Amino acid sequence: MAWRWPEAATFPRTSPKMAFFGFDTTLPRDRDGSGPRGFFETPDPFAQVAQASALDDDAIDFEDTYDGLGDQLDDDQDEFNDDTFGGPGPESSGRDFDFFGKTAQVSDAIGEEQVRYSLQNPNAPRVAQPVAQPVQQPAPQVKRSGYEKYSEPGYIPDLQAKSSVWGVSQKKPEPTPTSRKMMSLEEVEAQMRHSSHAVPPAGDAFLRSMVEPQYHPQPQHLQAIPDGYPPVHPEFLQAQLRQGHLPQMAHPPPGMPELYGGPGIMPPGGPLHMAQNINAPPQNMPPPGPRPTGPQVQRPPQQPPQHQQLPPNRVSNNGMPVITDPQQLAHLTPEQRNAYLMEDAKRAKRNHKIFLLSRGNGLMTPQDKNFITRIQLQQLVAAAGSIADSDPEAVLAEDFYYQVCSQIRGAPRQHPHQPLGHFAQTYLLQTGNRLGGHRRGNFQSADNHMQRMQQQVQRAVEAAKAKPKNKQLIIEGSLGKIAFSNAKAPKPMLNIKRPDSADGPKPKKLQSNLSLSDRKSILTNVEHVYSALMAMEDMERTMPPPPEEGDAEAIQEHMEWRQKLHSLNQKLWRSLKVMEPIVPNSTTPHPFIAFLSYPKGKKAIPRIFRHIDQEQRVTILTMIVVHLDSLDVVRLAQPVPGEAQPSLGMREAIDLFSLAVMPCLLGYVNEAPFNIIIGLLGLVINQTHVQTVARTKVGLGILTMLLSRAEIVKEAGQASEHDWQQWVEKFNVLFDTLEPGLNDTFPGTISSGDDMYVWQFLAAVGIGASPEQQQRLVIAVKDRVMETVGYSKTLPADMGSQRLSNVNLFMRAIGLDVELLG
Amino acid sequence: MLFFSFFKTLTNQTVTIELKNDIRIRGTLKSVDQYLNIKLDDIEVLDLVKYPHLSSVKNMFIRGSVVRYVMLPRSEVDVGLLEDATRRGKLRIVFLI
Repeated sequence: MAWRWPEAATFPRTSPKMAFFGFDTTLPRDRDGSGPRGFFETPDPFAQVAQASALDDDAIDFEDTYDGLGDQLDDDQDEFNDDTFGGPGPESSGRDFDFFGKTAQVSDAIGEEQVRYSLQNPNAPRVAQPVAQPVQQPAPQVKRSGYEKYSEPGYIPDLQAKSSVWGVSQKKPEPTPTSRKMMSLEEVEAQMRHSSHAVPPAGDAFLRSMVEPQYHPQPQHLQAIPDGYPPVHPEFLQAQLRQGHLPQMAHPPPGMPELYGGPGIMPPGGPLHMAQNINAPPQNMPPPGPRPTGPQVQRPPQQPPQHQQLPPNRVSNNGMPVITDPQQLAHLTPEQRNAYLMEDAKRAKRNHKIFLLSRGNGLMTPQDKNFITRIQLQQLVAAAGSIADSDPEAVLAEDFYYQVCSQIRGAPRQHPHQPLGHFAQTYLLQTGNRLGGHRRGNFQSADNHMQRMQQQVQRAVEAAKAKPKNKQLIIEGSLGKIAFSNAKAPKPMLNIKRPDSADGPKPKKLQSNLSLSDRKSILTNVEHVYSALMAMEDMERTMPPPPEEGDAEAIQEHMEWRQKLHSLNQKLWRSLKVMEPIVPNSTTPHPFIAFLSYPKGKKAIPRIFRHIDQEQRVTILTMIVVHLDSLDVVRLAQPVPGEAQPSLGMREAIDLFSLAVMPCLLGYVNEAPFNIIIGLLGLVINQTHVQTVARTKVGLGILTMLLSRAEIVKEAGQASEHDWQQWVEKFNVLFDTLEPGLNDTFPGTISSGDDMYVWQFLAAVGIGASPEQQQRLVIAVKDRVMETVGYSKTLPADMGSQRLSNVNLFMRAIGLDVELLG
Repeated sequence: MLFFSFFKTLTNQTVTIELKNDIRIRGTLKSVDQYLNIKLDDIEVLDLVKYPHLSSVKNMFIRGSVVRYVMLPRSEVDVGLLEDATRRGKLRIVFLI
């Protein structure tokens, strides 16, 4: 399994944190101590230098890092390596991995090319700068870090100049035998800061201190320099420094920073080189090398990151003196120098980041980008089902849940002309607007974003629409084709011929002899009701504006609309099956009662009531009253001896009925004429088992409803004498029937909770009762009253008073008060 | 489109997503597209001990096809409305009967 780098010499070497394919290429020794770091959290432009020198001084021991994976390889399966990697067989792979060296051989030529280019293009953006020293220009064609060339003597002046900033000689990788640990950037900095502090900032002495660092064992440094580069002697550096050679590179190419953020269009022939320049800003060399173990290394905790010297002419903020010559630094106070270095570090960090991001610059022309954008937009539009240009009803059909949900929750409408009060009516009432407004903001912003997006897309769509629509796109010269698909018309994976409906298996005929009460048909009924309901609701939304006088067309339109609405109403009514004949003593419940026994059916009632007229409402009410004792919430809610309350499921059903159905009925009863109330009471007495009904919450609720309405009618003086007589007759019958079982109307024992509805019922009875009946009433429930009063004293104050006030509801109705009981 | 429509209403809610490789991730749903690809923010991997490589991930984009379950806050689902939306999907069929 040998394979070669495929001409790897041109691969840009990235920071160790950020390598090909996102692998962490950090050397193992670099990882220790630095802790987990994100890719960009500490971009570390200098680590390469450290690495490079590490390579030179052989800091990596192959045996140390080799994980033995190679032993597991199966050498038998190498036949196709050539095919895969396109190279010659393993036997011909050379040992020449020194790509940098190879590149270095032609670096002069590269430099010359650059000179030539800059001469040809005098206006070229400052690329010419490096020309000043074309030979010295690092052409780090990156196999290692690209910094190796700094060992070359030609670079020394530059390094010197910069190193004066820190007071440390630069490129002295000093393999201290005692410690091979590589320094992290912070450590390097700390060291530099430390030594620069230690040195009095005074001219020559200062400079000397930089060139002759206190702790560098020179000879070792010399070893570290790769072959082919003459060793550098510190005296040489110093001499050059004195000759004033150095500062010329103190002005680094000022054009470089502009290049970073540039539009991505680089002058031809330049990009690679320039990018590498950025990668290896020559003036930004920190001293690499192992960390000396000497006592002078007192690493301050977390120094600010790297400090680098950047184009000095750009350093003038923060009231800092403009530094054009590194020697100026020597005359600054330590504080100023520190600030200056920090400033530089920040900039270097940023530049490095920009560099990392800018590597792809110029790969695509603006035309390319436009092309891609167009394809993306087309896809987007196709996928979104061209929401932008369809009518609101279509949007609603496609995206019903989201549209309605966001409207209910207060998002701005996407189509202002769409009347949405209906949705709010339908679904808000149902849910009781349990969703507070706190999320409103989120939705708004999300929605605004979508809107902006849509507007953008809309414009693109206009353009796209002008073109004929293709199902696929074949780009000239390409081998593949792009098939357009979207969520509604996905790309078919299988192509199965569907049998024509004529000769295919027909759907099973609905069996007409299904009994009306089996579960399946009941549920089907419920769904029919819902579909009719939704059709009506849609109809209501599309109501034409009320016609004006004389506008025949509008009147006609309105009439048609009314006609349709009416037919839908009939459809709804039929599917409710309220008018199915009542079969006495039937074992199967009436279809409408069966409908009501499902939660879906109960929930539908409020919506149904909005779409039916008074006559239909009273029919429903009558139906419910007639079948009161066969309603699930009455029939199955009978108290079971030994159990305080009905089962959980039944309690939920009762609650749902009380929340959904009762208000509708109450709403009608409160406006119903007196004779209907009388009729309903008569039905309860004659058609149902009153004792059974009275033992349930729903049953008592309906009775209370009727009794209190009668009382209100009487109070208002709307009842005729004849009607009242009738009422009293019926009431007496009811009272006589109920009296023996009055104590059974209370749910469970006194401690078992809510009995308020019973007291309400008793109050309703008490108000309408004659004085004699009131006395009988008191006698019947006297025990319960006394118990409750006694029990309430044992309860916490608020609960106790709650129970007392429940009792008082009844007591006051018959002219008494619990206070009187002492 | 129903699921797309539905998930859109859950943006900015905290959801837990179980992938087909058993990783469970809780995070804020930032967006969803018609392929039910999901963008999550402020994520938290439920069984982090098993997937330590995810410990530093802060947000992610999940391809819709690798999602097994999305666990959502019950209070954010309008059941009645969802039922109706479902009915709408097959409204035409119901009408035919």
